[in-house]
Amino acid sequence: MSIFAQYVMNGAMLGMMYALVAVGFTLFFGVLDVIQFSHGDVLAAGAFAALAAWLLLTKMGIASPVLLLLLVVVAATLSTALLGAAVARWLVLPLKNAPQLNVLLVTLMMGTVLREAIRLFYPGGSQPQLFPALLPTRGYVLGEFNLRIDNVILLAAGALLIAGTHLLITRTRLGLAIRAVAQDEETARTMGIDFRRIVLVTFAIGSALAAFAGVMDGLYYNEIFYGMGLLLGVIGFAAAIIGGLGNLYGAILGGFLFAALQTIGAVALPFASAYKDVFAFGVVIVLMALRPTGIIGERASERV
Amino acid sequence: MKERLLGVALAAAAAGFLVLLLRAESEKSIAALIAVAVAAAVAAVRLRLTARFRPALAIVAVAAVSLALHEDDFSLLLLARALIVVLACLGLNIQFGYAGVVNFAGATFFGVGGYTAAVLARGTGIPHLLVLFLGGAAAAIAGTILVVPVLRTRGHYAALVTIAFALLFRTFFEVNDSLGGPQGLKLPEMRIGPLHFNDPIELGSFFGSFYLKYIALSLLFAALGFALVLRLERSFIGVALDCIRLDETAAASFGIDIARGKITAFTLGNFLTGVAGALSAFMVGFIAPNNYSFGESLILVSILLLGGVGSPWGLPLASAIVLLLPEKLQVIQEYRFLLFAVMVILILLFRPSGLVPRPLRKLA
Amino acid sequence: MTALLDCRGLSRAFGGLLALDGLDLAVAEGGILGLIGPNGSGKTTFFNVLTGLFPATRGEVRFAGEPITDLRPQAVYRAGIARTFQRSRLCLPLSIFDNLLIGNHKRLDHGLWSNLIDRRALRRSVEQGLAEARELVRIFDPPLADRMLEPASRIPMIDRRRIEVCRALISRPRLLLLDEPSAGMTHDETTRLMDDILQVKSKLGGLTIILIEHEMSVIERVTDRCVVLNYGRKIAEGTYAEVARDPSVRQAYLGLE
Repeated sequence: MSIFAQYVMNGAMLGMMYALVAVGFTLFFGVLDVIQFSHGDVLAAGAFAALAAWLLLTKMGIASPVLLLLLVVVAATLSTALLGAAVARWLVLPLKNAPQLNVLLVTLMMGTVLREAIRLFYPGGSQPQLFPALLPTRGYVLGEFNLRIDNVILLAAGALLIAGTHLLITRTRLGLAIRAVAQDEETARTMGIDFRRIVLVTFAIGSALAAFAGVMDGLYYNEIFYGMGLLLGVIGFAAAIIGGLGNLYGAILGGFLFAALQTIGAVALPFASAYKDVFAFGVVIVLMALRPTGIIGERASERV
Repeated sequence: MKERLLGVALAAAAAGFLVLLLRAESEKSIAALIAVAVAAAVAAVRLRLTARFRPALAIVAVAAVSLALHEDDFSLLLLARALIVVLACLGLNIQFGYAGVVNFAGATFFGVGGYTAAVLARGTGIPHLLVLFLGGAAAAIAGTILVVPVLRTRGHYAALVTIAFALLFRTFFEVNDSLGGPQGLKLPEMRIGPLHFNDPIELGSFFGSFYLKYIALSLLFAALGFALVLRLERSFIGVALDCIRLDETAAASFGIDIARGKITAFTLGNFLTGVAGALSAFMVGFIAPNNYSFGESLILVSILLLGGVGSPWGLPLASAIVLLLPEKLQVIQEYRFLLFAVMVILILLFRPSGLVPRPLRKLA
Repeated sequence: MTALLDCRGLSRAFGGLLALDGLDLAVAEGGILGLIGPNGSGKTTFFNVLTGLFPATRGEVRFAGEPITDLRPQAVYRAGIARTFQRSRLCLPLSIFDNLLIGNHKRLDHGLWSNLIDRRALRRSVEQGLAEARELVRIFDPPLADRMLEPASRIPMIDRRRIEVCRALISRPRLLLLDEPSAGMTHDETTRLMDDILQVKSKLGGLTIILIEHEMSVIERVTDRCVVLNYGRKIAEGTYAEVARDPSVRQAYLGLE
């Protein structure tokens, strides 16, 4: 029973992380019809920014855990938001009218640039880096299962963020503008919406969400490494696809679905845990074959 | 007549330059040579010299360079590697450049060819020439796993699936002990007929490195691959593939079988890449998983983009640049993933048609 | 009447929107049918469903007696139906000749052997194809016929639309679907285009045309029957003169008076 609970907790954590990344992909696709392949590596950059911030702050003598946590999260989210907006401004928007393939390639290469930059220029970057435990690590023992407080906090925070994003998209003027641009760029422009500003803001928001996933990843596993963004990005993208690209709920659903698949895979194949990813992706490929527009449905593209 | 002379002169100059570059030892001389090359390139662009080379000339030039360096193992190895990579990228060119099928697992299919060669050469008595083609076939078959998502209209499905394939297949290589695990596998010496490929050449007073044999073989395969790709482009199939890439709705409305076209391009491309991988495995003598990473796939893609996507004419030059430069300027070896990623970004932003833009089709 | 094309109860829904609603439409062999109606009345949707780009929600279509309702676009083309598009869909980086080769797809050999290994037949086919293409294009614009090997991106819009019509004609279809071919053309250019199409029709023999148009003078001059659509439904049918007088047609276009 406790093992089951452990698996559920693990799956929930992973699902939350994937969902946060997937939401970013889906926002970018919705607004600009673009797959931002450097998203995962932007996330990694955010995690490293968080680590660097923590190192700096502790050197400066700041000891209050709450303050540390707050500033670290701010550092991560701010740096990724800026990075995401920069990618939009200088790589994605200029290639708006180029063949779709080019944007895909340019963002993929940008991801490599970020990943390699971390590996080469962050001190000791090619090795996994220890990430500080900024949350209380106490746990409540329920039977044989250890319910850790930090996990609960992370899950709650993630859920709040997703709920907040949902509210932003559906209840605010900014969200309305984002949805308008996602629906029909030309009409949105004629209605006076500043297209470029909305695109930059959307990329910033999506990237900031992913930063949180990066910090979560660091806090949960107590370490980060330069390649963490690659697999997370691919999984987040897969999650967004199976949920239906452009669909917020689909992205969330897809994230948790992928985590569930990984967990099932790990349980079913205990001897080769590496194969859990193969299993999960295999199911994703089958799903994509059966329902190409995703479980909830991808936004339709062009008119004939 | 003048054009022919000019072509020969340029080929000779290129060959001479290559020999100098490969021979150069000091970083200063290498840097100087690179500066000369860049200046020449700028001049060529200004003078609007088409870099479309005459294949016969190119073959002669490569042969001349190889003979000039006939005892220099390292340089010959580099040259052979560049030729093999041209073959691999020709496969990617059919997929990306003609059919518009995205493939970020080029190095993985290269690896499948290599591993197939290793397993067959170690465990069976199948003649090695046939093993090369079987390596290609294995890569083509491996590609069929991904066929369904690859057929989806939007490129990002194929991108996702090939990236995942690249990331996960490497794990597969590493984890499988029957495939040597992380250490990899050693290959026996390559033999085709009476030729022993690991024996140096001794003809009278001429002594040549055994790599000369590999250069000859890679040159042959690269030339064959090149001819195949050109013929494919200059055919009705090539026209259909271009239409599939440019406008699937129009393609379907005029009877073009999109699925068949994409599958043909994807499979044929993987075959070429697999053959290249098998050949590379024999030449290097062993294979290990960390040579076939996702990063290496991106290097192949960057060669394709540098040369000019859809244009096989730019591939030899691009392959030489991407492979030779890090080897000669050891200081950038560590940074090559970063450097070439930046290069691709710049190309896509400022000169998306690459070094040698694809010329208009000359049918038959 | 020998109906070449016969549609019964054709419907197509997009979610809640019924773009085609129980359309009955027939075209006699050799005839020219005008398809008119206000914007959004379902004309292009009809072409899209007919050619298999979208499946029909209900109803059936027969072409030369054979059912073609659920066929893929490739099969519809092979049966002998070719079309132009409302928004120009030429492959611009390719040459004009390449674009025509695409239109001629079903009459060309795409086998691996003849394309890659023994190319003698291919070379002959290319020569023949080039001559044929030149001849066809010459009808529409003689100078264009000398530019066959230039990229399509280099010719002006009006020439591109002419090439699109040629692309549809080169495979010698039995039924030609023209979707607003005159969009962006002046009155004279339109007249000339339609004359050229009629010239090809009389040359080829056995060509039937359905024409979507907004310029009524063209419809009046060229077509022998018209069908008027509104909200996906047929609201009138007959000669141009007849439908022009029809009050429900006037209402559809001009609103209640």
